[in-house]
Amino acid sequence: MSPTSSSNSVSEVDIELRGLSRSFREGDREHVVLDNVDADFARGEIIALRGRSGSGKSTLLNLIGGIDAPDSGQVTVSGVELTSLPERERTLFRRRNIGFVYQSFNLVPTLTVDDNIRLVLELNKVGRRDADSRIAELLQSVGLADRAQSYPDVLSGGEQQRVAIARALSHRPSVLLADEPTGNLDENTATAVIELLETLVRDSGGTMILATHSTTIASTCDRTIELHNGKLVSR
Amino acid sequence: MIPATYRASFSYMLRHPWQLALALVGIGIGVAVIVAVDLANSSARKAFLLSMDKVTGEATHQLIGGPRGIEENVYVRLRTDHGLEAIAPVVDGSVEVDDVRLDVLGIDLFAEREIRPFTAEATVPEGGDDSSTQNLFSAFLTEPGSVTMSARTASELGIDVGESFTVLAGGVEFSGFLLGTYDSDQGGLDNVVIVDIATAQAWLGQRGWLSRIDVRIADGDAGALDRLKQSLPSGVRVLTAAGRTQATAAMSQAFMTNLTAMSLLALLVGLFLIFNSVSFSVLQRRGLIAVLRALGVTRRQLFAMILTEAAVLGTIAAILGVVAGTWLGEQLLTLVSRSINDLYFRVSVTAVTVDTFSVAKGLVAGIGAALVAAAAPAIEATTWEPRLAMSRSTLERRAGRVLPLVTALGVVTMAMAALLLLVSGRDLVAGLAAVFLLILGFAFCVPFVVRRASLALSPVARGLGGTTARMAVSGVATSLSRTGIAIVALAIAVSATIGVSVMVDSFRASVQDWLQQTLQADIYAGVQRGAMLPDLIEDLADIEGVTAISTSRRTWIETAAERTQLLAVRMAPGSYAGTDVLDAKPDEVWAAWESGDTVLVSEPYAYQNRVGPGDRITLPTSAGERSFAIAASFRSYDINASAVMISRDNYDRYFDDDGVDTLGFYLSPGTNVDAVIDEIRSISEGRQRLRVDSNARIRDLSLEIFDQTFVITDVLYWLATGVAFIGILGAMLALQLERAREFAMLRALGMTPGQVGSMITTQTGVIGLLSGIAAIPLGVVMAWVLIKVINRRAFGWQIDMAVTPDILVNAVIFAVGASLLAGLYPAWRAARSRPAVVMREE
Repeated sequence: MSPTSSSNSVSEVDIELRGLSRSFREGDREHVVLDNVDADFARGEIIALRGRSGSGKSTLLNLIGGIDAPDSGQVTVSGVELTSLPERERTLFRRRNIGFVYQSFNLVPTLTVDDNIRLVLELNKVGRRDADSRIAELLQSVGLADRAQSYPDVLSGGEQQRVAIARALSHRPSVLLADEPTGNLDENTATAVIELLETLVRDSGGTMILATHSTTIASTCDRTIELHNGKLVSR
Repeated sequence: MIPATYRASFSYMLRHPWQLALALVGIGIGVAVIVAVDLANSSARKAFLLSMDKVTGEATHQLIGGPRGIEENVYVRLRTDHGLEAIAPVVDGSVEVDDVRLDVLGIDLFAEREIRPFTAEATVPEGGDDSSTQNLFSAFLTEPGSVTMSARTASELGIDVGESFTVLAGGVEFSGFLLGTYDSDQGGLDNVVIVDIATAQAWLGQRGWLSRIDVRIADGDAGALDRLKQSLPSGVRVLTAAGRTQATAAMSQAFMTNLTAMSLLALLVGLFLIFNSVSFSVLQRRGLIAVLRALGVTRRQLFAMILTEAAVLGTIAAILGVVAGTWLGEQLLTLVSRSINDLYFRVSVTAVTVDTFSVAKGLVAGIGAALVAAAAPAIEATTWEPRLAMSRSTLERRAGRVLPLVTALGVVTMAMAALLLLVSGRDLVAGLAAVFLLILGFAFCVPFVVRRASLALSPVARGLGGTTARMAVSGVATSLSRTGIAIVALAIAVSATIGVSVMVDSFRASVQDWLQQTLQADIYAGVQRGAMLPDLIEDLADIEGVTAISTSRRTWIETAAERTQLLAVRMAPGSYAGTDVLDAKPDEVWAAWESGDTVLVSEPYAYQNRVGPGDRITLPTSAGERSFAIAASFRSYDINASAVMISRDNYDRYFDDDGVDTLGFYLSPGTNVDAVIDEIRSISEGRQRLRVDSNARIRDLSLEIFDQTFVITDVLYWLATGVAFIGILGAMLALQLERAREFAMLRALGMTPGQVGSMITTQTGVIGLLSGIAAIPLGVVMAWVLIKVINRRAFGWQIDMAVTPDILVNAVIFAVGASLLAGLYPAWRAARSRPAVVMREE
C-alpha cells in the first residue's frame, strides 16, 4: 500500500514521491536506506514520520528538502520536480519554499537571534522594514521578543529550538521539514515546542513532515507514516 | 603498544591529512631555511678557511710591508744574515684564465719544505732519469710560466698536463704551462695556481718585490719572535697568520649575520604556524579531550599527550626540513658565494658541506619550536572542565578576555625592544634581537587591533552586503581563536616585506645619488688587479678631447685586527665636489688634504673606529708607522666600506708604490664619449687589457651588482611569505572543517554554493586586508630599524630613509592577494560540500 494523503484533509497534493531510492556505501557494503518509495502529501497536512534510528527518516526529509539527491525516483514539491532541477535551481527553490527544523537547532553561533532569522529573509530579498516587522512578529509568537539580541549559546535548548522554528517559518515556506525537533528537549519543553510548531504551521497553511520517535507527538499529527526496511508504510 | 589515548590523538591527525601536511610543511620550511642559510654560510666560510689554511701552510706568522709588499733583499738578509730557516717568500695575487679568476701563489720550492711541504707533491710526468719530484723542481726553475694546480681546477679549465694556455694578469697576456697537478682530495686548492716566485713576479708586475714572507716559529718561542721583530727593517711588520685569516673572514661577518637573521625570521613565522596547527588540533578535539578527561585522564597525562604529539610532529617536520634545507642550501650557496666574491674575497665552493652542527641546530629549532608552540594550547586544554563540547562561542569569549592581557604583553615587549636599541650601543646581534622583540611585541598586539577593526567594520559590511557580508567580516573577530595566529603570521611576513623593501629602495636611492655625485669623470679606464702600465697612462692622457685626468690606486693596509682599504687619489681640477664631505667644510678640508699629513676616512671607517675630524690615525707606511690627521669623513657605499683616502702626493711620499689602477677622463664639452672609449681601447690594444666604461655604464653596473646582492634577501623573504601563506591556508581549512555544519545549514536555508564560497572568500579577503593594513606600522618601524640601526651597526652606512606609498599599497594588495589565494581552496571545498552528507557525518 502506498501512503497517500487522507481524503478528509486533502485540498491538493503538495508533495509527491515516486520510486524514490537512496543507498549509502559503507566500506564494501551497500546500505539501502530508501527502496522505491512512493508517497503523496497534501497541502496543509501535518504528517508524523516514524521509524527506528537509522531507518532513513533524515534522508527522506533531506530528499524532500532538496539538500540531497536520490539514486533514482522523483520528488515533486508544489508542482516542481526537484530531482530534475540543477543544483542552483534546487537551492533557490528550497530557499523560497522549504523550512528546516533540526534536532540540534543548527543556529549560526556567531549571529544574534535577530540575525539568525534575518539571514533567511535577506536571502529571500525581503526588504529591511518588512524583515524587521516579520522578525518582531515571529519572536513575539515564539515568546522570545526580549531575546532578539542574544547569541544562541546563552539560550536554553527550548529557546534555541523556538528560534530555529521562527527562522524556519520566517519566509512563509509551503513545506516545513522538522527532523526530531524535540530530541534534545525535556518532555515539558518538547510538548510546548510541538504545540507551537503545529499552531504556527496550521496558521500558515503549510505542510509539515515531522520525524519523531514519540507516539505522543505522532498522535497530534494528521496522520503517521513509518519507514521500515526502506519502505514507507501508513499507520 | 601505543596507549589508546595516544592512538585517539594520532588518529585525529591521520584523519585530517591536509591539516597534518600543512603543519609539517610549515615547520619544515622554517627549519629548511635555517639549515640552508647556515649550511651556505658555513660552507662558504669553511671553503675560505680551508683555502687560507692550505696557502698559509705551517706558517705561524707573516711578514708584510706596504702596498707594494716587501723588497726581495729583506728575505735574503733574514735567511743569510739572521740564519732564519723556517721562512718562505710569497708573491700572491690573481689572474684570469678563460675568464675564470684564479689565485696565484708564487713560491720558492726550495724554501717550502718547512712551510708548505705539499707543494712538492704535484704529480709531474717523469722524464728520462728524472723522477717526478726532480722534474717539478727543475721545470719550475727553468721553464717560465710553469704552473701546478689541483686536478679538479685543471679539469674544469679543460687544461691537460703538458698543455700551454693564456694567462691574463693585470690586463696583460702571459703564457702558462701546466706542469703537473695535485690530487683533488687535497682540499683548499681549488682555483689556485702555484708557480715559481719569479713567474709570479713577472705576471703580477712585482719584480724585486714579495707580497709577504711566511715564517714558522715554534709554539711559545717568544724569544724567536722578538729576535725576528728586531731584525726587520722599517715598514715591515709581523702579524700572526691566523689573525690575518680571521681579519679577512671577519669582513663578511656582518653579511652572514644578516642572512642568519633573515632565516630566523622564516622560523619565527614558522613558529606561529606551528602554534596555529597545534592550537587547531587541540581546539578541534575539545570533545575528545573532554571525553578523555571524563574517563579519568589526568591533566598531566593530557599535557604530556599534546606535547608528545607536537614532538612527533616537530621531529618529522624537522627531518623533512633538514633534507629540504640541504637542497636549498646548495641553491643559496651559489647566491652567497657570488655575493661574497662580488663584495669581499674570493671563495671557491661548489657543494655544501653537511655540517652536523647545522643539522642539529635545525632539528633542535624544529622540535623546540613545536614544543614551545604546543605548550600554550596544551596548558589551556588542561584547564578545561571535563564536560563535553565546550561551545565555540565560549572559547571565543575566553580568547576575547585574554586579548587585552596579550596586547599589554605586546606593548611591554615592544618597549623592551626600544630599550634594547637604546642601551645596546653598536652591537649588531643586540640590534637584531631588538628587531625580533619588536616583531614579537607587534604580533601580540595584532589580534586585538584586528578584532576591533573587524567589529567596527561589520556594521558597514552589513549596510553594504547584508547579514552574509556581516557574517564574513565579523567572522574574522568571532573566529579569532582560529584565524588570529594566521593573521599574525601574514602580518609579520607582510611587514617584513615592507621593511625590507623600504630598506632596499632607500638604500638603492642613496647609492644612486652617491654614484651620481662620485662618478665625476666622463670615462673610467683601469685594471681590476695590478697596475696600469706607466707608458700607457702617458699615451692615454694625450688623447684629443681629454681635458683632465684623475688617478686612483686601491691597496690594502693591514693591522692585527682589520684590513682597511687605502685609496690614493689624484683629483682632477674641479672634481672635488664628487666626494661628499660629511662633517667639515669642504673648502678647508681639501686644502689640508692636498698639502699636509692629512687623510679623509670613509663614513663606515669613522663609525667603526669611533674617529672624526681632528682625530689622528696611525698608518703603516713604507717608512714605518706614521700618524695622520683626519680632516673629515666622506660618504661611501663602497662595499669595502672601511677606507682611508689619501692624496696621491702624500701616498707617493709615504708609500713605496707608484702604481695606478684607474684613470678618470674628463672630456671637453662636445667630445664624443664613445669615440674616446674606442680610442682608449685602440691605444691599449695588445699592451694591456683595460676595462673601459662610461660614467653611465659604471652606474648601471654598480646598481646591477647592488640588485644581485639583494637577490638572496628576496629569496628569504619570499620563503617567509610562503610560510605565512601556508598559515592562512591551514587556518581557513581548519575553520572550514570546524564550520562545516554551519555552512551545511546555510546551504539548507537556501544559500547557493556560490554564496557560501563568496562569503568565505570575502572573509579571507578581509583577513588579508586587515593583516596588510596592520603590517604597515611595523613594516615602517622595521625599515627604520634596519636602516638606522642594523645597517649602521653592520656596515657603518648612513642611508636616507624614503617610504614610497607604492610599497605600502603593494604590500596591502599582496596581503589581500595571498589571503584570497589561500582562501580559494577552502571556499571551493565548502561550497561544493553536500549539506546532507555533512549533516549525516556530524
